[in-house]
Amino acid sequence: MGVTDVSGDMAGEMEVDAFRRLFPLRFYERHLSESIRPDARPLGKSRDTTVALGAVASADGSALAKIGHTTMLAAIKMEVMTPTSDSPDEGCIAIDFHMPAICSPLVRPGRPAEEAPVISKQLTDVILSFDGCWLFSSGMVNMKELCLIPGKAAWMAYLDIYCLDADGALFDAALLSAVAAFSHLHIPAVSLNDEGRVVSVSEEQVEGNSIKEPLNKGKRKLTLSSTPFALTCILHKKYILADPTAEEESIMETLVTVVLDVTGRLVSFYKPGGAFLAYTSAVQDCIALTRQRVKELQKILIDAIADMELD
Amino acid sequence: MAGKSSSIAPTTYSPSPTLKVKKKQQQQQQPIFKDVDWVRPDGRSFQHCRPAFLRTGAVNSASGSAYAEFGNTKVIVSVFGPRESKKAMMFSDIGRLNCNVSYTTFASSIRGQGSEHKEFSSMLHKALEGAVMLESFPKTTVDVFALVLESGGSDLPVVISCASLALADAGIMMFDLVTSVSVSCLGTNLVIDPITEEESYQDGSLMITSMPSRNEVTQLTLSGDWSTPKIHEAMQLCLDACLKLGEIMRSCLREATSAPHE
Repeated sequence: MGVTDVSGDMAGEMEVDAFRRLFPLRFYERHLSESIRPDARPLGKSRDTTVALGAVASADGSALAKIGHTTMLAAIKMEVMTPTSDSPDEGCIAIDFHMPAICSPLVRPGRPAEEAPVISKQLTDVILSFDGCWLFSSGMVNMKELCLIPGKAAWMAYLDIYCLDADGALFDAALLSAVAAFSHLHIPAVSLNDEGRVVSVSEEQVEGNSIKEPLNKGKRKLTLSSTPFALTCILHKKYILADPTAEEESIMETLVTVVLDVTGRLVSFYKPGGAFLAYTSAVQDCIALTRQRVKELQKILIDAIADMELD
Repeated sequence: MAGKSSSIAPTTYSPSPTLKVKKKQQQQQQPIFKDVDWVRPDGRSFQHCRPAFLRTGAVNSASGSAYAEFGNTKVIVSVFGPRESKKAMMFSDIGRLNCNVSYTTFASSIRGQGSEHKEFSSMLHKALEGAVMLESFPKTTVDVFALVLESGGSDLPVVISCASLALADAGIMMFDLVTSVSVSCLGTNLVIDPITEEESYQDGSLMITSMPSRNEVTQLTLSGDWSTPKIHEAMQLCLDACLKLGEIMRSCLREATSAPHE
């Protein structure tokens, strides 16, 4: 009790910055009661978002996504592997999320961040299909498209996402960069050599017809179905704050992450505990906010792809 | 940031051709490559550095940071602190500098482990410790973390130059900016600022890390097969390029402070 009383009395005299540091929750609640956030956003508005494709030349597909200050760099490298006997006509995708020490003062080298494996798992769950039946699952990529020779050779796609700057809503930005990297992915041309092994061929060789027909001619781009997009919201009392910053996440700890695909189907809903319980109405509000956000993100991604094709 | 380098025209810092006689010698002597008119894979002349793009304030959550893009070599350095030293550390009345260099898994053409590069970490520390005024932050630690997003050759010099820019951005006191340039010896030719392909063929390499306005060298590494005159020539090349790189870094810092804040 004492704390809130004191803060109330002192608030008038204290400088805004000091008040923000000493009583962060009261600072935020005062803003929220005016339906505004300290960075001048309305509660339901996300930060400025940009996507740039092809940021890494050494990868087969890459993208840089920024939501506010949160920055994610995703890159895909393709390697040829022997498919497993369970699914001889399917390739594989390995997804890893990294939080290097550069991204936040809380991460130190040698001590991996706690959030990193959690986000890694969430990304894997959302991007890969759960039941192997591609048509009805959320799976964005048809694993059969990654097959080269059934039972002999298939693609292994290594997707690595690096957080370059951590300022809240990490999962949203990571998923956006991953989806963008897949839409930028250009599968390298490969061919069978005389010993029956799969070898990569360069663009000039393909054009000059100096070697045999490439194995994967016309299959250099993946068909992406139902791309998923995410929005994280904070639940605090009766307020719902979309796309929180790191400061907001540390002060108000109840997070809800909703993933919808472009057709509006619910892919994933994640509420890891927290101090506030969500009523059905709050859940519906979060989903409604996500539905708006998916439209924004889809437009941003389409624009980024159009920009790249112009260059 | 990455891929957005078009907004500011990249600047080069190539050394001025020191002695024209030497250039002639290069042409007379038979290079190891079959073609006498051997050109570098990226079309530069031997004494021409890659365009350098530098920008401070790449990472908002760090005390200071910088992004550097030299050709295909792309590096981000974040500086944190001065902050509390690790509990296990002994008392020290001067500050500590903690350096770490790591690579992304997709940095090179073959997918790697993306782990810490111990050798570069210690080299970065040695290159910087002579320039940072450690007594200005007693009992605390300044962390310098570098991530190589893409490795395109001359990685360590780029990391070092970028780190000193990040330190300056963080307001850590230094005697001078630290700039670093390397030269590869390929047969009888000296090529400055080598790319990965050239580094893999090199007979010897020389890297100089200097504080250009004080004309002091903080680190010098020399490896491979060298003759004394060649070393002398390579050092002159490096120092000249360091001086010019220092000017580019200074103008980058000036731009950052004069630009209106968001």
